[in-house]
Amino acid sequence: MSFKQRLLHPEARLAYLMMLPASLFILLFMFYPVLHVVMMSIHDTTRLGHLRDFAGLRYYNETFSDPVFWRTIGRTVVWTVVAVLVKTIVGMIIALLLNQPYRGRRFSRMLFIIPWASSVPISAIIWRWVLNHEFGLMNHTLKSLGIWARPPVWLGEPLPAFISNLWVDTWIGIPFMALVFLAGMQGISADLYESAEIDGAGALTKFSRITLPGIRHIIIIATLLSALWTFNDFNVVWIMTKGGPAGLTDILITALYKSAFEWLRFSRAAVLAVVTFVVLMALALSYARLYFKGEND
Amino acid sequence: MAARWKTKYTPLVLFLTAVLLVIMLFPFAVMLVTMIKPSFEIYATPRWWPINPTLHNLVAVWGEYRLAGFFTSSAIIAFGTLLANVLLCIPAAYAVARLRFPGRKFSLYFFLSIQMFSPVIVVISLFRIFVELGLINTYLAVILANTVFTMSFTIWMMTGYFRAIPLAIEECARVDGASRLTTITRIMLPIAAPGLVTAMTYTFIWSWNEFLFPLTLLRSQARFPITVGLYNFVGRFQTQWELLTAAAFFALLPILLLFFLIERRLVEGLAAGAVKS
Repeated sequence: MSFKQRLLHPEARLAYLMMLPASLFILLFMFYPVLHVVMMSIHDTTRLGHLRDFAGLRYYNETFSDPVFWRTIGRTVVWTVVAVLVKTIVGMIIALLLNQPYRGRRFSRMLFIIPWASSVPISAIIWRWVLNHEFGLMNHTLKSLGIWARPPVWLGEPLPAFISNLWVDTWIGIPFMALVFLAGMQGISADLYESAEIDGAGALTKFSRITLPGIRHIIIIATLLSALWTFNDFNVVWIMTKGGPAGLTDILITALYKSAFEWLRFSRAAVLAVVTFVVLMALALSYARLYFKGEND
Repeated sequence: MAARWKTKYTPLVLFLTAVLLVIMLFPFAVMLVTMIKPSFEIYATPRWWPINPTLHNLVAVWGEYRLAGFFTSSAIIAFGTLLANVLLCIPAAYAVARLRFPGRKFSLYFFLSIQMFSPVIVVISLFRIFVELGLINTYLAVILANTVFTMSFTIWMMTGYFRAIPLAIEECARVDGASRLTTITRIMLPIAAPGLVTAMTYTFIWSWNEFLFPLTLLRSQARFPITVGLYNFVGRFQTQWELLTAAAFFALLPILLLFFLIERRLVEGLAAGAVKS
């Protein structure tokens, strides 16, 4: 069959017809908006986001020569790297614990999932209360247990506020890591461990020689996915601090939203959106490559 | 063979598990004790256990925060998104899973790619589009935006389940004279029901938890879903945390229940590529 024949085959025509609504929908509400954002970034815009005169790369130059932009980028990199790292390490510890035989581990597994299962905006709201510097139970607990005599005003000062946001994002992401790692660990054959034990291998050797290599692929995919989500975490930052005080806890994605909807500078926002888009694409492409590599094996 | 429930590490495992659980569940514990405190205990020297525990907040919050209104909005948005997902995604997933046509692999990538976009990027121009369509401050705007971002998961999930159904079953029905539509609705969908339920539950949870789209696209308080509704109560004058935590409790309850229904399949789905190889 020629390509044209295959294209016009009844089965193919039916397929295109069935995919038409979904495809149109995506083109209209996803690809067209992205295209429009690119247009906004090279045009002057009104306070409502209407395109006006062509501006070329003026807004890009303006953004790239702004030190605040680079500080936000730096903060976003720290945000993503630290959060993903902590999620991976703590997730791994929890997975190892859940992989041990003891009564009630199904129940602890269920409890560990709760932060991930909860609604992010609602959790962030609760955390604001937990971290309240006067009446919150976090500082009260730290003080009364003697862990930290003078804990900071968490959400009022730039660094503690950034750490608070980072922690809440991390806290939400840990259970996902733990569950995925656990799923991987349970796929490793018990024989491997048994023969290692016969050879006299200790717990640490078994972990580094059997467990880690066994879930290597899973670790890579899960951290990539997690990086994508962490980089994109608008809700936590917006609800906890709204990027404040003075924009010092903004990450790229909240700075972008603020430019558009607080300051009504849509061209500037569009430039930030294009930058975000490029970063996400890079992450997504590496994810897709790994994912489909796994599928073709 | 009886499972080994104890090893020499068990005490250490239990201790670490307990410590980590305390950390992970800390805010929920705070929520639970705050919502049973009378307000004069909230704004006093902080202490964990309430002196005068009360269930008053759990009742009062329905009147003071018009919770029912928020829940209705959340439900309308979530069910709307669900419906749009079913209508758009099932045919597309069937085509990708079962029909042969040029560009099949590309179509799957195309549908998967939307998962990678960020809602924040899209929302600045979606806002414009919805202003022009006159849809700002309508549920429909939020439903449409939610739908775009849930479609890839639904299509992916359904494609997987449709593919797993043996071709012979479908062919039998076709030989017996059933139309394509009948085959899909009477045979394929019932068999793929677990996948459909998972995808729908996920969509529901996603929409219920969505914050950015309703925050940006809705204007009037009466239409706010629970996420934006509660957010608006934070930081106004003095936040009534005893009521807010009670509201948070009610908002989390349905979503936690739903989540535990699909949790296993969700993790499998998300980690599928990784776990398989």
